[in-house]
Amino acid sequence: MSKEKTGTDTSATDAAGGSGDVSVPAFSRRDFMRAAAAVAAGGGAWMVSHPSEQVFGWQLDPRKCQQCGRCATACVLTPSAVKCVHAYEMCGFCDLCGGYLQPGAKAQDSGAENELCPVAALKRKYVEAPFYLYTIIEDLCIGCGKCVKGCNAFGNGSLQLQVKQEICVHCNDCAIARNCPAQAYQRVPVAKSYMLKTLEGGGAPKA
Amino acid sequence: MQQEPTKNAPKHLPAWLWAVLTVAVVALVVVIAATDRGNEPGPAYKLDLKPFTKVDDKDVAFRQTARFPLNLEEPSALAVAGDGTICVAGKGAVLLLDGEGRETARHAVQGTPDAMAVAPDGKLLLGMRNHVRVLDAAGATLVDWKELGDRAYITSIAANDKDVFVADAGNRVVLHYDYGGNVLNEMGQRDPKHEFDGFVVPSPYFDAAFDASGLLWIVNPGRHGLENHRPTGELVSSWYRPGMDLNGFCGCCNPTHIAFRNDGSVVTAEKGINRVKVYAPDNTLIGVVARPDDLPATSDENDSHSPVKDLAVDKKDRILILVGSMKAILVYEPKETGTDTSVATATGRREDVSVPAFSGDRKP
Repeated sequence: MSKEKTGTDTSATDAAGGSGDVSVPAFSRRDFMRAAAAVAAGGGAWMVSHPSEQVFGWQLDPRKCQQCGRCATACVLTPSAVKCVHAYEMCGFCDLCGGYLQPGAKAQDSGAENELCPVAALKRKYVEAPFYLYTIIEDLCIGCGKCVKGCNAFGNGSLQLQVKQEICVHCNDCAIARNCPAQAYQRVPVAKSYMLKTLEGGGAPKA
Repeated sequence: MQQEPTKNAPKHLPAWLWAVLTVAVVALVVVIAATDRGNEPGPAYKLDLKPFTKVDDKDVAFRQTARFPLNLEEPSALAVAGDGTICVAGKGAVLLLDGEGRETARHAVQGTPDAMAVAPDGKLLLGMRNHVRVLDAAGATLVDWKELGDRAYITSIAANDKDVFVADAGNRVVLHYDYGGNVLNEMGQRDPKHEFDGFVVPSPYFDAAFDASGLLWIVNPGRHGLENHRPTGELVSSWYRPGMDLNGFCGCCNPTHIAFRNDGSVVTAEKGINRVKVYAPDNTLIGVVARPDDLPATSDENDSHSPVKDLAVDKKDRILILVGSMKAILVYEPKETGTDTSVATATGRREDVSVPAFSGDRKP
C-alpha cells in the first residue's frame, strides 16, 4: 500500500512513527523560524511604508468647534499641538478681516492694539487694493481659536483649528478631548487625519 | 468544651458601614469626574462678541407688527410686486401672498432660487445660481437666459420696466440685461476716472435695488457701503461706513441686503452681528428695526451666514424680513404711528435740504 509523503499529513507521520520509516518534515524548526522572521520583517516594512487607515489619531471637527480657548490651555504640550490652519480657497482676502482685527479696532492696520491674535501669529500681506493675504506662523500659534471665531462670525470661516499630527504626541486619553465642551474631538484614521471645512463644489461659499 | 461562638464567627463589617463606604466611593468618582477639567481659559484666549450685540431701546425705531408663516422649505428670496403681492421663493416653489400673508397662489419651480424680482408686467425673474429664469404671471417658465459660467452666483435681481440688473457675486459684477435676455453691459470693471475699484465681494452677499426715485443702488459689501450707479455702470455717488458700532456696517462684508422705503430711507441687513437698520437719505441712522436678539442665531456655531435671507418693503411701506430658519416673514412698522416716523424721516430731509437725496461721499 502506497502512502502519500506529505510532511503535514498526520496519518503519514503516525505511520512513519509507527513503522520506523524516516520521514523528512517539510520545514525544519530553523527554516520555520527564518521564514517567520522574513515575513515579520517584510510585513513591518510594508506597514511603515503604507500606513493603514485603521491607525487612529486625534483630530477636532471644525464644524463642531466652539473656539472656547481650551485647545490652548488643556494640551499636554506647550504650546498646544492644535494650530490654526488656513483654507485659502475659502478666504475672501478681506481688508477688514474679522480674524485679524480686534472688533472695533481703531485702525485697520497691523498695530498690536488692533490685532486680535494674542501672540501675533497671524500675519497679513498687502496684495492689491483692497485685498490682503493672511498667513499663520505655526511656531507662534497657540491654538486659542480667537481668529477662528472672528473669521466664522464675520467672514467665510477659512481659518480653522486642527491638531497638527506631526506635533501631537498621540496620548491615549487626549487631555483636550476630555475638556472639549463641544465634543469636537474624535479618533480619525491617520491616513485621513485632517478635517478641514472646504467649499462645496468650489466657487463661492454656499449662502 | 464548647467554644464561644463569637471567637470563630466570620468577621463582617456592619451593613451600615458598607453603605457608607459605597456612598463615599460613588461620591468620590462623581467628584473626580466632575472636576477633571482644565481651568477656563482667560479672556485673552477667547473672543466675546456679546458687547457688540447690545442695542439700547432708544435706538429701536420699529416694532414687529405681524409674522407671516410660510409653508415653504428653505425660503431664500423675497420680492413685492407692483400690485402689492408678496412673492417668496424657496426650495421647489414660489409662493404668492396677499398683504396679510395669506397664500393666494403657488408656482412649482425646479431648484431653489437665490434671488427674485418681479417685473412691472408681473413676470417673475428668478436667480437660479448661474442664470436667470423668467416665469410668466401664472408661473409657467418662459425662458432660461444664458448661463454665466461655473463661477457665477446670482444673489440679487433688480428690475424696472425696461432694464434688469443681475448681481453675480461669484464674478463680482452686475450685469445689465434687457428683457430679451441680452447683456447690455457689465458693471464692476475698474474705472479710475470715477475712482471706482470694482466690487469687493468676499462672500455670496451682493445686493442691488432701486430707490423710490428709480435710481440703481448696489451694495459694495467689502467696502461696507452703497453705491449709486448709472445703468451704463458709471459710479455716481457712494457712502461707506465700516464699523462695529450701531452706526456702521460690521464684519468683512456688509450690508448683506438692502431695500428702499417710499420716503427714500434705506433698510439694511447685516450678518455677523445680525441686525436690520434704517438709514435716512442723508445716510444718518434713523434707527434699528430688528436687534440681534430679535433674530434667530444661526443654528451652527460655525455658520457665518445670515438668518436674514432677504429684505423688501411693501406697498404700505412696511419692512418685510425673510428669516430662513423661522420659515417666516417678519413685518415691521415704525414704533409710533406713521405720522411720527414720517416726521422723523422728514426731519432728516428738512435739516439737510442743501444735500440732494442719496448724496454720497464722492461725487464725480
